[in-house]
Amino acid sequence: MEKSIETIWKEGFLDTESLIAPKVNNLYDKKSLHIMAKFKKMFLNNIRGIIIVSSLLFMGAYFAGALLAGSIVLIMMLYIAYTAYNELKNLEKIDKGQSSYLFLKSFKVWIDQSIERYGKMYRIVYPILILTFYFGIWFSDSLIDVRQKVSAHSDLFFGLHLGTTIFVLTFALLMSIFSKSIHRKDVKTMYGGILNKLNSSIAEMEDLRD
Amino acid sequence: MQKLYLQEIWFNIFGIWTLNKKVSNDFYTSSIQPYSGIIIKICRAYTDTQEDFEDYYQEVCLQIWKSRNNFKRQSAWSTWVYRISLNVSMTLLKKRKNNQQYSASNLLAEEVSEESRAFADESLNQLYYGIRQLSEVDRAVILLYLEEKSYQEIADIIGTNPNNIGVRIKRIKERLKKILDGKVN
Repeated sequence: MEKSIETIWKEGFLDTESLIAPKVNNLYDKKSLHIMAKFKKMFLNNIRGIIIVSSLLFMGAYFAGALLAGSIVLIMMLYIAYTAYNELKNLEKIDKGQSSYLFLKSFKVWIDQSIERYGKMYRIVYPILILTFYFGIWFSDSLIDVRQKVSAHSDLFFGLHLGTTIFVLTFALLMSIFSKSIHRKDVKTMYGGILNKLNSSIAEMEDLRD
Repeated sequence: MQKLYLQEIWFNIFGIWTLNKKVSNDFYTSSIQPYSGIIIKICRAYTDTQEDFEDYYQEVCLQIWKSRNNFKRQSAWSTWVYRISLNVSMTLLKKRKNNQQYSASNLLAEEVSEESRAFADESLNQLYYGIRQLSEVDRAVILLYLEEKSYQEIADIIGTNPNNIGVRIKRIKERLKKILDGKVN
């Protein structure tokens, strides 16, 4: 007679060897492989990187005589770091001990909100950074000779080379328009698989909740 | 004086580290190991190979340890272990999926051999093979059902409506039967 799955389950686990656990020591030292830990690490690295790079840029700008541009870049970078810190704090609030539906849903909401907030932030930050770099470098003390050479060969518009300025403005505008979709695509490339899995599991659970 | 001060700092850092290591080991022995059966049964359903299984098992234990302060005693500790095990298993990234050096045929051959080595009981291996063909949510539902949880408990752990659990279990069992029959034939 064919065994039912309930019987197979019960009989299979009567053998105590089926339930021998792998060795686990020093949980305190273990590094997590979980996707949330990966996000956390990514945000922490972002914050550290931003602080280091923005400090170096500020010092560079100071020595190049573009203190105002350096200050704007520093404030922008710190704003990004602050956003990353907030995302990190929100991620840490997600409780893995809640029901599977609530856990998956809150994780998905966090991912969507994070993409949305970062996208909006980059929409402002990218063009400001590009323009600040351009104006800052162009008007810095170290480029006096270059400015003089350019003005000798072509007309300047408010002290700027017209062709280069139009190119930089167009680039900044395009970055502002597409930054959100670029960021969204980046996240999808990195975590597309797990995002699809999350969506289908949530949809299935919602079906079971109705 | 300065040497003594440095020694004291070193001892404090090292002492805290040693203490935390001891606390985590004690926690594993007292609060995780007695429930390791739950974790093993769940992790086996979400992994195809021994290597993935060990990673999942360790990760679940780690998340139980890290989330221990979130346990509010509103449910039994075992229910909470079920929740963490399922939630972590459903959202863990498999290392092997990103590993390009495994061709599809190698992977299949290895999976089958690993499967056959997971349990001594061949029927149980086949049942697990069937469970692994189900969706992530269906795996959770059938595992909890096989663990003799009531519909209400299953609904509480997964976060669904208990009225729909019975129908879903019936469908999963039919699907499992088809998968297992197909494999046997």
